[in-house]
Amino acid sequence: MRFLGFLTRRIVGIAAVMVGVSIITFAISHVIPADPVAAALGDHATDQQIAAFRAEYHLDRPLPEQYLTYVNGLLHGDLGRSIRTRRPVSDDLFDSFPATIELSLAALLVAILVGIPAGVWSAIARGRLPDHLVRLASLVGGSIPVFWLGLIVIGLFYYQLGWLPGGARIDTFVAPPPTRTGLYTIDSLIAGDFEALRSSILHLVLPALTLGYFSTAVIARMTRSSMLEVLGQDYMRTARAKGLQERLVVMRHGLRNALIPTVTILGLTFGSLLSGAVLTETIFSWPGLGRYATAAAIALDFPAVLGVTLLAAIVYPIANLLVDIAYFWLDPRTQRG
Amino acid sequence: MSIPLPRASIVVAVALLVAAACAPAGTPGTSASVSPSAGGAASTLVIDRDTSDLISLDPAVLYEFSAVFATHNVYETLVKFEGTDLTTPKASLATSWDIKDAGSNWDVTFKLKSGVKFASGNPLTADDVVYSFQRAIKLNKSPAFLFTDVAGLKAENIKASDASTVVVTMPKTSSTQTFLVILTFTIGGVVDSKEVKTKETGGDFGSAYLLDHSAGSGPFSVDHWTKNTEVLLKANPNYGGTKPSLVGVLFKHVPEPTNQQFALEKGDADIANDLGSEQIAALQGKAGVTTTSADSLLLVYVGMNAMVKPLDNVKVREALRTAVDYDGIIKDLLKGNGKKVQGIVPKGLAGYNESAPFQADVNKAKSLLQEAGQTAVTLDFLVPTGPAPGGAAWSDIAAKLKSDWAKIGVTVNIKQTTTADLLGTYRAQKGQLVMINWGPDYPDPGANVNPFTDYKAKSIAYRNGWDDATIATKAHEAELISDPAKRVAAYKEITDYVLHNGPYVVLYQPTELFGLRSNVKGFNWSSIGWAELASVTK
Repeated sequence: MRFLGFLTRRIVGIAAVMVGVSIITFAISHVIPADPVAAALGDHATDQQIAAFRAEYHLDRPLPEQYLTYVNGLLHGDLGRSIRTRRPVSDDLFDSFPATIELSLAALLVAILVGIPAGVWSAIARGRLPDHLVRLASLVGGSIPVFWLGLIVIGLFYYQLGWLPGGARIDTFVAPPPTRTGLYTIDSLIAGDFEALRSSILHLVLPALTLGYFSTAVIARMTRSSMLEVLGQDYMRTARAKGLQERLVVMRHGLRNALIPTVTILGLTFGSLLSGAVLTETIFSWPGLGRYATAAAIALDFPAVLGVTLLAAIVYPIANLLVDIAYFWLDPRTQRG
Repeated sequence: MSIPLPRASIVVAVALLVAAACAPAGTPGTSASVSPSAGGAASTLVIDRDTSDLISLDPAVLYEFSAVFATHNVYETLVKFEGTDLTTPKASLATSWDIKDAGSNWDVTFKLKSGVKFASGNPLTADDVVYSFQRAIKLNKSPAFLFTDVAGLKAENIKASDASTVVVTMPKTSSTQTFLVILTFTIGGVVDSKEVKTKETGGDFGSAYLLDHSAGSGPFSVDHWTKNTEVLLKANPNYGGTKPSLVGVLFKHVPEPTNQQFALEKGDADIANDLGSEQIAALQGKAGVTTTSADSLLLVYVGMNAMVKPLDNVKVREALRTAVDYDGIIKDLLKGNGKKVQGIVPKGLAGYNESAPFQADVNKAKSLLQEAGQTAVTLDFLVPTGPAPGGAAWSDIAAKLKSDWAKIGVTVNIKQTTTADLLGTYRAQKGQLVMINWGPDYPDPGANVNPFTDYKAKSIAYRNGWDDATIATKAHEAELISDPAKRVAAYKEITDYVLHNGPYVVLYQPTELFGLRSNVKGFNWSSIGWAELASVTK
């Protein structure tokens, strides 16, 4: 029951966030000095074309009326029509979102698989060489610009060494798997298409490493510091005193407790991965939401910008909700109190 | 309790990677039937380009560069330009055409080639031509103005007098020469009416279907368009002309020029379509690749608002033109990726005027200013952000101009802003000096001369407050001349006049740069924005 109440409160919170985000984004996108009509119709448009365009996108109406029209559309599941692609924004999002989810999940996987063990290792070997190496790598990961890293890894692993593909989701001459989830790796597994699976995994490696490096660094540092804190606790000494092997002491008693703050970071990380995807997707020709958002912003395509923002506004709280649910599992105190 | 999650994740991830690495590369997928590998990499031409402008592949709807390039190879037109020549339309689906003075109208009669088939196998008849032109007018999408406004066509004035004859009735206020030029463009593409009619839904004339399918008679047809990823054309087995040696052409969406360069060098792309001067320089001397360039039809220019003092004085405008170091811009900033063109019609179009009399003559410019009674002039200079056509940054060109004009006592305050923002100011006649580029809507001198001279057209002359009714009238008269030689002579007179009297400093005509694999032959870029892919081999 406690859980249901908690879930209801969070869902109501998400709805409130959505309303707030829609108002703020709508206001910002409509008060910026640049004219979306000039961006959409270009240099050659006649006065008649401009007037028709303004009428089509209700730009000739007062701002509050434009907002109410937009919200009315939203309530009917209509995110509007993109100025740039001339398609319904929902169709565009539906096409591009799975690619971003796949990339972000892969980056998150990198961050978990590398960041947590690195953090634990660093804490156990505090002050010694492994610790220094992990801290140095974390420092670099936390400060290196994504676009620069992306160009470097493409230059090295694709252009110089030829080990991995340099862009796109799948090889040019490999057919994408039939769409089930939109995630090529999952869809090719479902279809039993191992050629597509192989190609899509190999294409994920460089963008996922690029996108995931920053999060890996953050998670490694967070895991290290919380591990250090936990390692000094009385219950750790008690566990050792009981004669448990050091490996079990660290993994069973240390890591589980140390992971609680790391899980909080994971939720935030997933959100930041979505925003980091904007640059990564452009560099790796990855047909996802980030590249769609970039193109939309450049073209002053405000229905598309609004659509992307609202989608992000849903994803962030959902990621945080999942984190809170993970707390229930990790920390029994949250279930009681 | 143990921590099973990370360990399980590691196991799954490692298993996936191992499975991926071990899977035989040639294992056929369940969806291999839609793979571009139908013809194999060896016979599919891969073109890397930024295709983010794609909206539709329907010839009555599309008006974007990527779509024009692709569909030019999918749909045939009644007349066409051959090779890179854009001055004389030649026969294509029409074997001949006759322009008759019918009193208050022109009657243009086209005789169609016999035996032409669409990719579907349906024969191409006059009914298909009538349907195609009428649907373009009735759909009234981006390119429709070429038929309705420029050529003055109405749907009911396009008729088939028999299965192989089409008669188009045009008003005398429109130019038959311009109409023929428009017919070479993608809006003149003839669609398979029998096939398209079966795809019509809700009065859309099949445009939802033709968005990402095709129904043409050209050397290729659309296999698929995966949004934000690729467009694949496959060879049309029913094409009546010389069969393409390529099995397919893949337009891959690769927005970053550096990635295009890498893919070209690695052999993952055959043609890189959006290279800048840096990438071209990096490709020089590399094994297996070559580079080429071609004229574009763009003109990069500075508009001088003739309503703003002292730019209302023709001598001040002439002084600004005279002071500019055009050769320096082209050589140093563009690294040679531009041509010195100073008239308002670009090289490549009929009516191009070779006259380019201005080049950094500081003394002459100063004396012109003195004659105008001006010694120190200060003006705002509006400049877009990002790279200009030809590869140099707009800001670098602006800085060069500022320095050139400073030498004659003209101070400009550079104000850099987005193109969209700049256009808003420019359209409202609120600019003083505005740098921007212009490309014609169709490859005819009228597409440049009219907007650059006619104030009432509310285009470029209007934005620069230049209202010269005499030259505007001459421009419209020139457009209506049906004799090509007399037409060119009339345009020569007009462009000479604008060169010294108009409110423009035409800076250069940019070239477009391409990287090609060395085995790619027969790729000739037309400045209108396409290449005939049927003649390309690899």
